[in-house]
Amino acid sequence: MTSDETNEAPAPVAAVAATAPLLGSMWPEVDKALDGITARGEQGVLDVIVHIPPTEIIRGLRALKADTKLKFDYLRSLTAVDNEEEGIDIVYHLYSTTGRHNLTVKSTLAPDHLFIDSATTVWRAANWLERETAEMFGVRFNGHPDPRTLLMPEDMDDTFPLRKDHPLAEIEVLQGEGMGYADGDGEDQ
Amino acid sequence: MPTGLFGLNPWLDGVIRLLIIVGLMTVVAMGLIYIERKVLGRFHARIGPQRTGPFGLLQSVADALKLVGKEDLRPRNADPWTFEFGPYLVFIPIFLGFVVSPFMAGFTVRVLDLGILYFVAVSSVSIVGWVMAGWGSDNRYAMIGGMRAAAQAISYELPFVLSLLSVSMLAGTLNINEIVEAQTSVPNIVWQPLAFIIFFIAALAELNRPPFDIPVGESEVVGGPFVEYSGIRWSMFFLGEYASLFIMSILISALFLGGYEWPFGTQLGIGWQLVLTVIKASMLIFLIIWVRASVPRLRIDQLMGYAWKILLPLSLLQVLVNGFVLVYDLPKLLLTAAGLGGVFLLVWLTEHAITRPRESRATAAATAATLQSEAAS
Amino acid sequence: MVIESAHEFETQDLLLNVGPQHPSTHGVFRMVMQVDGEVVRDIIPYIGYLHRGAEKLCETMDYRQGIGFMDRTEYLAAMNAELSYVMAVEKLAELEVPDRAQWIRMILVELNRLSSHLMFMGAFGIDVGVFGTPFIYAWREREAIIDLFEEISGDRMMYAYLRPGGLAWDVPANFVPRCREVLTAVRQGIADFDGLLTKNEIFIARTQGIGIVSAADAIDFGMSGPSIRASGVPLDVRREEPYLKYDEIKWDVITATEGDVYARYLCRLAEMRESVKIVEQCLDRLQPGPIMPEKMPRMLRTPPGEVYIRTEAPRGEFGIYMVSKGGNRPYRLKVRSACLSNLQALKHMSVGLYVADAIIVLGSIDIVLSEVDR
Repeated sequence: MTSDETNEAPAPVAAVAATAPLLGSMWPEVDKALDGITARGEQGVLDVIVHIPPTEIIRGLRALKADTKLKFDYLRSLTAVDNEEEGIDIVYHLYSTTGRHNLTVKSTLAPDHLFIDSATTVWRAANWLERETAEMFGVRFNGHPDPRTLLMPEDMDDTFPLRKDHPLAEIEVLQGEGMGYADGDGEDQ
Repeated sequence: MPTGLFGLNPWLDGVIRLLIIVGLMTVVAMGLIYIERKVLGRFHARIGPQRTGPFGLLQSVADALKLVGKEDLRPRNADPWTFEFGPYLVFIPIFLGFVVSPFMAGFTVRVLDLGILYFVAVSSVSIVGWVMAGWGSDNRYAMIGGMRAAAQAISYELPFVLSLLSVSMLAGTLNINEIVEAQTSVPNIVWQPLAFIIFFIAALAELNRPPFDIPVGESEVVGGPFVEYSGIRWSMFFLGEYASLFIMSILISALFLGGYEWPFGTQLGIGWQLVLTVIKASMLIFLIIWVRASVPRLRIDQLMGYAWKILLPLSLLQVLVNGFVLVYDLPKLLLTAAGLGGVFLLVWLTEHAITRPRESRATAAATAATLQSEAAS
Repeated sequence: MVIESAHEFETQDLLLNVGPQHPSTHGVFRMVMQVDGEVVRDIIPYIGYLHRGAEKLCETMDYRQGIGFMDRTEYLAAMNAELSYVMAVEKLAELEVPDRAQWIRMILVELNRLSSHLMFMGAFGIDVGVFGTPFIYAWREREAIIDLFEEISGDRMMYAYLRPGGLAWDVPANFVPRCREVLTAVRQGIADFDGLLTKNEIFIARTQGIGIVSAADAIDFGMSGPSIRASGVPLDVRREEPYLKYDEIKWDVITATEGDVYARYLCRLAEMRESVKIVEQCLDRLQPGPIMPEKMPRMLRTPPGEVYIRTEAPRGEFGIYMVSKGGNRPYRLKVRSACLSNLQALKHMSVGLYVADAIIVLGSIDIVLSEVDR
């Protein structure tokens, strides 16, 4: 309902090291377009990032597409980021071919409720992108016209490779320092 | 013309002639394969076979040995009779077409009074073999290729026959040797340029050579009717294709370019006549390979449209003009003038057909889009 | 398996399986075409045969190891793929790339665009049916470009030459004259293709009016690259969000209006000429200088943040979405592949055309499966 303009998002996934102000960016117009939708904005490294809850995401995307000044008619990319305990973020990268501006829209799904509405009704480009996100992360896109696996084999629809708890095989270092088996994580995270 | 070549019993003589044909055909086909690879290589800015034997001359022999040694695969669900007999039905008629090819005076295997009719009838049988191969292979690509081959052969049969008809009208006979001997002073191409071009195009289509090779379109149906054949059976198709290429070139050079008769006449010994025939056939073969290296492939509906809507009316026109000139005994130069006019008309019509605005495809796409949106909703 | 269709003559539609092993699917790609006679009624593409899990693997690689992965993600335009990746790292780590490295990067990226478009010309010629001739012409010119790349980076295809911050090592001393030699050869190659195919009547008859995408549909599908520019949308990342030095030289965005296969072919042909122009201007502006910033850490670490960087690969917009939580490896790397988005429109473009046309439409989208599947 209300949207707050904050520079300091409470421990989100992508907090910029130096807090960048939202003034001077397109946030005011985005805020106006998303009137009536819970939206929280922050400034990323390049784009403005808008957080919308999953229940209102399609209304928000439609509003952004329909807005006469912003006119986000091009869906660049649709993917997800697995934040382990904090849930899975569905990330939409939007672009306006007429206005030449970008926007990143994020929607966080709780780890036990991985359902979100499909954006295929807004842009047809979302079709295959959502199929891939669904099979890689185990997210269900409600209303998707063709929910088959895209890259994974058809019978492997219960493993979600890009989740953080899906293991990678041990990496064998064959030359240089650290010969022998290294575990999947390095020294830093 | 001697009934016995070696003065032997005519049956034995016939068998010897058949063996000569078979041997000659195989050697000729293998030689043509080598020539095509070399010439095509030169068009492609590369050299072609060069390692097997001096200048790669033994490449065809190596290919033949390899094909003989391959396993003879047969799909489990292939129809046994059509699959087995398809290849035979493709290349036997071609061997039969060899019978009337005039290489030199007095040495045709059999001079038939209905030579042209015989040739056309016999060469049309091979298309049955293509369809049998396509159907019997139990493979969708093969079936599509077989259907395409049948449609193409039927479409181009008419311009083929009508241009042959124009030439025989000029000579007044269907006997190929007599047509050749009627060209002592002027080859037929001078009187019938339009018929020559139409016959050349129709011959390319009958041979399934590019740009009319959509039944064997390598980049889509990957071999068409022959996709399930391997080893010796496949080599029969291959040999048949090159043998018919050779025979068609001999025929074109005999009917339009004067064969062994022009320009020196029969005073030339039979050795030189053979050389002359081979030179003319080689020029045509080079032209056919040149066309293969340069031109994309026509789609099946464009191909058939071209035959029925452009080549057929023009060949009928040619026959009409021939009849007019010959019945009323007008000077033959009129034929040349009409022929050249016809050639320009052909070129103009082709150009116009390519560049006319294409509403039909757009409406097809539009209806497809509405179908699709209805299906999706 | 056949599907009954609602016809008066009770014909049956044929399910034709094209691929994954097929000479004209440009890689391991499978599509099932529902064909009524010769007319395509439906196409169901199946991809994923070349999926190697590049995104997951890059989460365990540090920022230098990941460059090799980006090569293999798009092997025909490897420089472009590497460029997106290193630009993302540079943005996160706030590295300043020296000028010389930027000019050289531009030259390499445009040369790679040339070699990729040449490959398209060759493969497209085979699809249309000219056996061999355009293919060999394309390969002759590509050899010139790839030889140059081998002299610079040591590898013909998987270069791994760009690094976050600049280049791995400086180019050889004879780089500029060699480039000019390569450009001479490529100009001849472009003229050869133009002469062979552009005005050929059969080629025009095969490609005009086929596979039309309207501008609005193309934007809705998220297409990019020459496929969308041929529909009249002047969407070129180099013009919209200039990176490297594209805003400092003169070049044009090539568009066409019809949106059919012929228009895409013409766009790519003209883009090759533009690339030659760009490389020449870059060669004129190349100055000696450093190729890496002075104080590069041995192990590059980035502060937390996320960034989406896009560059104009030969096939469209190649995007890298990189999320970093500190450390020397990305937390999440997403490769936005141009070919995947372009391929979505295949069904839209080909329904209602003939089988032979559908093959040509697929060829004109110019996919490389390693980018589709990653």
